[in-house]
Amino acid sequence: MLTIFKLMWRNLVQGPSTEPFPFGETTTPERLRGKVAVDAKACTGCEVCISVCAGGALRQEERADGSGKDFYVWHNTCAFCGLCQEYCPTGAIRLTTDWSTVHLNQDKYTYREQVFIAHASCEQCSARMPRMPHGTIETIYGRTNPHLDTLYRLCPQCRREKAAIQLGANFHE
Amino acid sequence: MILKDRLKNMAARSPWLYRINAGSCNGCDVELATTALIPRYDVERLGCRYCGSPKHADIVLITGPLTTMVRDKVIRVYDEIPHPKVTVAVGICPISGGVFRDSHSVRGTLDEVIPVDINVPGCPPRPQAILEGVAKAMEIWKTRI
Repeated sequence: MLTIFKLMWRNLVQGPSTEPFPFGETTTPERLRGKVAVDAKACTGCEVCISVCAGGALRQEERADGSGKDFYVWHNTCAFCGLCQEYCPTGAIRLTTDWSTVHLNQDKYTYREQVFIAHASCEQCSARMPRMPHGTIETIYGRTNPHLDTLYRLCPQCRREKAAIQLGANFHE
Repeated sequence: MILKDRLKNMAARSPWLYRINAGSCNGCDVELATTALIPRYDVERLGCRYCGSPKHADIVLITGPLTTMVRDKVIRVYDEIPHPKVTVAVGICPISGGVFRDSHSVRGTLDEVIPVDINVPGCPPRPQAILEGVAKAMEIWKTRI
């Protein structure tokens, strides 16, 4: 008998537990897995995310002029599993807390994220090559020095030649 | 004309929801039940309630990738729903096939078979996203009466 009065009192004091959404605000947990976002500056276009994607939501396409890659995220088949974020070596792809995904069916194929990943060009021969962000070099070597940074501004061919010349110079000493 | 408008306003009050499970894993259905049964979300504030018969429905919520076994049954039930009706595809499965796309028992997407108005992608979508979808479906429903 007393419990019912206790409950009634609690309900009176606390007010309704219903969220005012869609007429008002709602709360979003900090670690909610929502729509995928890509940071074009950190992405190297290695396509690891594509190989782990369960729903096949990701696509990368090389541009015809070789200037870079188009990265598409089709939200309509993304399962919010977070595997891309888990496996991305540069931390470029991540899941935001944006859960609002409602759209009309006519926008089905245009409801997607599109970013452009620009390729870098070699300092010596100006050949196009995937970009190596500074953060990635740090991840690989632990710490960086100017020598390493200049090495990664060259294309694989020029890098090999430069490394061979340096090796030869060290050998003669 | 004024009478017609007045009747239209009177008619557009409480759309009833009907739920079709087209081979869903039940994840989205749990979220749909959540929106209706848990006081925190409470879809009945919008005037909606789930009904058991397709003949009473106004807004159809379809979950699941539309498997070949359930395909004809979904079309039959969908045809029983009187006009005007609004179709909402809940979850990524009816929209694109989701993780079941190109599987042996999934032939195509839902909008190849019946006209879909609103998509609520997610695996599963949040109850708030479903509420948003129902609110949008109500807007469309009011224009069709």
